[in-house]
Amino acid sequence: MSESRVNRGFGRVLIVIYGVFALAATARSFSQIVTRFDEAPVAYTLSAIAALIYIVATVALARGDRTSTRVATVAIAIELAGVLVVGLASLLAPAAFPEASVWSGFGSGYLFIPLVLPLVGLWWLWRSRTPQ
Amino acid sequence: MTGPLATVAIMLPLLLACWAVVLVVVNRPPGRSLWVALGALELVLVVFLVWGVVSLLARATDFARLEFVLYLLGVVAVVPVAGWWVREEKSRAAAAVIVVALLVVPIMVVRVQQVWSGV
Repeated sequence: MSESRVNRGFGRVLIVIYGVFALAATARSFSQIVTRFDEAPVAYTLSAIAALIYIVATVALARGDRTSTRVATVAIAIELAGVLVVGLASLLAPAAFPEASVWSGFGSGYLFIPLVLPLVGLWWLWRSRTPQ
Repeated sequence: MTGPLATVAIMLPLLLACWAVVLVVVNRPPGRSLWVALGALELVLVVFLVWGVVSLLARATDFARLEFVLYLLGVVAVVPVAGWWVREEKSRAAAAVIVVALLVVPIMVVRVQQVWSGV
């Protein structure tokens, strides 16, 4: 891992924030699906997908080798697309989202951190890329 | 789950977070004194955990017990995990990680209180 800078310095901070979101999203989606999946299947399925993407991004960033960095880039790109699409959809079709998912309203329930995080993540991956 | 202990469990991490923010600004990793303070905070949080579990066992009315215990365990886990995560980080990033951890603690304490009161 010594060849990588992805998981050093600012990367450490970024990974902690991803880790917090991975844990929070996983715990939340687990309890949503176990206790009341029927109430909002679309939102809860999206919550579970979001949780999974946060886990993949956290682990890939923490590993920091070349392959993991690619995995992290893909995961974070999906995350960005997800927060944009779900954010827009939750505004256009609020009926499908009776209860909030992490990404509805562009992450407004979480201080918009879900919207900012993938942008910062992609910036960091670009900044700490190893010259080919 | 309110009272002086809960107030300390919310305010102390916020105070220490301010301290860690200063370290980030002046570009230094956490020093010995901050680690000692974090140890003291962890003691407070462990007492909070014990208090929470005792309260849980003493309570007859129904509430989200599993969620309550998980949040309590989360409260005591955050600071040690953050400390372990930056054990080899000698830059201000270590202080920044501590800031994040110290902001997560009060949020989780408040969640403990919310679950207790059925929110």
